[in-house]
Amino acid sequence: MSTRNTGVYLCSGCGIGNAVSMDGLKNVVESEFKKSCKIHEYLCGDEGLDLIRSDIVEGMNQIVIAACSPRAMADRFRFNSVQVIRANLREQVVWSHPEKTEDTQMMAEDNLRMAVTEAGKSTAPEPQFDGEHSEVIMVVGGGHSGLTAAYESARTGYDVLLVERALQLGGMARKWSKRMPIHPPYQNPQPNTVANLIEAVKNHPRITVKMGSTVAKTSGMPGKFSVDFSDGSSHTVGAVVLATGWRPYDAGRLKHLGYGVSPDVVTNVELEGMLAEGRIARSSDGNVPEVVVFIQCAGSRDSDHLPYCSSVCCGVSIKQALQLREAHPDVMIYIIYEELRTPGVAEEFYRTCQRAGVIFMKGKVQKISSSLEITVNDAFLQEEIPLQGVEMIVLAIGMVPNSTNVEIESQFLDEEKLKLLSSDVNHYAPIKVAGAATEPITLSADPLPKGESILNLQYRQGPHLPMLAHGFPDSHYICFPYETRRSGIYVAGPVRRPMDMGESAEDATGAAMKAIQAIRTAARGFALHPRAGDLSIPRINLNPCTKCRRCTVECPFGAIDETEQGFPSVNVTRCRRCGTCMGACPVRTISFTNYTIDMLGSMIKAVHIPDEMEEKPRILALVCENDAYPALDMVGIARLSFSAYVRIIPVRCLGSVNLLLVSDALSAGYDGVMFMGCKSGDDYQCHFMKGSGIAQERLSKVGETLKSMALESERVTMAEVSIADSATLPKVIQNFVEVLESVGPNPFKGF
Amino acid sequence: MTYISPRSTRKYDLSFARWVHRHINGGDRLAMCMQCGVCSGSCPLGTTMDNGPRKTFMMIRAGMKDDVLQSDTLWNCVSCYNCVVRCPRDVPVAYILHELATVAVREGYVQAKRSATNKFVKGFTWSYKTFGRTDERLVSMFYYFQDGLASGFKKLLAFRHIALGFLKVGRLPFGMPHSLRHRRELRKILAAAAAIEAQPAKGGR
Repeated sequence: MSTRNTGVYLCSGCGIGNAVSMDGLKNVVESEFKKSCKIHEYLCGDEGLDLIRSDIVEGMNQIVIAACSPRAMADRFRFNSVQVIRANLREQVVWSHPEKTEDTQMMAEDNLRMAVTEAGKSTAPEPQFDGEHSEVIMVVGGGHSGLTAAYESARTGYDVLLVERALQLGGMARKWSKRMPIHPPYQNPQPNTVANLIEAVKNHPRITVKMGSTVAKTSGMPGKFSVDFSDGSSHTVGAVVLATGWRPYDAGRLKHLGYGVSPDVVTNVELEGMLAEGRIARSSDGNVPEVVVFIQCAGSRDSDHLPYCSSVCCGVSIKQALQLREAHPDVMIYIIYEELRTPGVAEEFYRTCQRAGVIFMKGKVQKISSSLEITVNDAFLQEEIPLQGVEMIVLAIGMVPNSTNVEIESQFLDEEKLKLLSSDVNHYAPIKVAGAATEPITLSADPLPKGESILNLQYRQGPHLPMLAHGFPDSHYICFPYETRRSGIYVAGPVRRPMDMGESAEDATGAAMKAIQAIRTAARGFALHPRAGDLSIPRINLNPCTKCRRCTVECPFGAIDETEQGFPSVNVTRCRRCGTCMGACPVRTISFTNYTIDMLGSMIKAVHIPDEMEEKPRILALVCENDAYPALDMVGIARLSFSAYVRIIPVRCLGSVNLLLVSDALSAGYDGVMFMGCKSGDDYQCHFMKGSGIAQERLSKVGETLKSMALESERVTMAEVSIADSATLPKVIQNFVEVLESVGPNPFKGF
Repeated sequence: MTYISPRSTRKYDLSFARWVHRHINGGDRLAMCMQCGVCSGSCPLGTTMDNGPRKTFMMIRAGMKDDVLQSDTLWNCVSCYNCVVRCPRDVPVAYILHELATVAVREGYVQAKRSATNKFVKGFTWSYKTFGRTDERLVSMFYYFQDGLASGFKKLLAFRHIALGFLKVGRLPFGMPHSLRHRRELRKILAAAAAIEAQPAKGGR
């Protein structure tokens, strides 16, 4: 943009004109900012839009619209090659505050001041095309998920590179005799069709299969990942789908359930092998067992083994019991369960099994003797039942994700690196905020999953994919399925969470779609979800950079690498534009063209602060625009009311809030600063995974800053706001106002 | 019946459940029981039973044959069929309990002669065989006086409040019991039923 030519448009519709003085607002723009200002009573209507368009024709290139929330009417107020900035007068001012009062008018004027100031400090980002982009999707793992991901991507018209460690495709699924039902009436086991899928993949012209090789290392970013393989070859790919599947839990550790003690105790995987072979026999005497007992949750939901539920084992036992019953109708079958979990449509499957006379016992196995006498604590009878005469025990063991290659020793990492990596990779590790003088991070007993990283990422933050929990490399399986915390790398199938073949097919298709999205957005210079379509890119001015590395450490997506000289360098298409780097930088040298610390600071200072005598406190609310800002909008939509002393600035993520803004605000005379963002911690809701956690961590250090300014620590607070909190939000704000009233006015007012 | 359930020296017998499944009428539906407890909850005598139908079914699965066949649950069923109507999994609860009671008698787990139910049934049967209808007064008398005069009067006295209450509201009529017009026909039907009962049962399914 050569020169700014800004026009301000005020809408008096939707009750705005009745509640505040439009002339007063117009006066603010014209006298304080010397900008042209027009009022229309229905700005989003055709007539109002024509008014704006005619000004654009005459050379207007930046527009400030003071009307409804930026979340409303975004499609109407979109004009080609013109930057639009919105001031929220409707939801957060007139709908949530009494009409024609001084406070409401002041709030509207301040919102307008902030928007016009924002316009003066912001430039529309330009699309950036950065050389060649690859459109190849690399699928790692040739099991059922990998085959499906490859096949579905290829059918959509993308070239696929399918990498398989073994010399055969099909993975675990190849060994299965039958699969759980996927078609109505969902009552009986169905034939395993993985062989057909293998054929389809082998014959598809767009799929290149690379067998017997593993990934040696991966570098680059979405659109141009450069991948080296164990056989010495290398390829450039656009996106990666990791479908490395699972392995059964090590049954050797289940001695208390008789595994390894008696040869007639087998795992469900071993029984599956017998069923596929068509010969079920006891290892001890080669006879068909007359009484078979399945033990569910063997080594699952057990803090000593797998703490989670693998969700498929119940269905697998039902399937195997039905197959056993079909092959040998006289076999007595018991299934001992704690909670029988039949997700999806497996309830009918369960009933079929009951109808067939399989006996289900709810209880916990107390002990198993070497003669296979099982003592069950039956939950319905509430007594210990000794089951004698059992001839075979099947342990329904759970799934362990193949998130690393356990066959290869993990490479050596010194403790400092391990700590850093652990805080990023291990979900339970404390979030590390670089530079802050905090208590040292203590390494957890198991900082990293065992084995070598599968992709061996050449990223600043280490070779591993971050884990969500229990070694599953996911980011947030409800909000962002298939996504890892590394842009352009998606996980599908049981490596993401335990699942059966039907689910893994769906999962693989979903991940393939995500991979295609990553390729398309990378080619157009867009950000990926959740700021999909954003063109802005973090720019780092290296002159003031002190190489403190906070940005490279804190980036939730590992987007920033370090050059050999130690300067940060942004990998554009890895970046999600959350601005966490901007919040981290102590010298304010990271910025976006339309989002800078200077811009936020100027907006803070644009607010008119009444002096102490007026007894009108001012509170700065830095509000995450993902959940907290829409929640505040909903306060207005529900016609609830919150304190009119609050001045709201939306931020991309609380992670992007630099603590320097807090001292800016307090020295400008605000009485308090409130952060509103998503929940952090174990069950976080942050759209950028770590942003709100980082903000909380930084905020815990703000006390020293306040002390140096001789201010009370109560003046700064953080509220965790979810999208559903609009009903309680006014109370949260009011509580803070009351705290500030008891603390008294900020002594910096008027300086 | 020719089928004898498996006898074992153990308290827990895994094959008992299978035997019930095959040889008890409705036993195959028992596998569908999901232990919701609607049967025991609906039972008018549920609180007086030692186990109740739900627990009885789980005991069958656990192979607690002795406990099941000695239980008073089998005898306390009054055949109201609430459980059968209400069972969400269509388990014929009352029928299974009745058949298990016969098994218990046949296999010597209970002395049928000594059970109160048996005594009551005798009076009941006498009444309908004699009059073609049941007369509550006579059935009660028959039941009370089976163990001798002294205990009969004792039982009568124990229930005198109820009797007086009935009398007050006119629910205790005097006079001869009502009887069926075609008693001879009824006897024929009963004889035919007894003949069917005497035949050996057909084998399992």
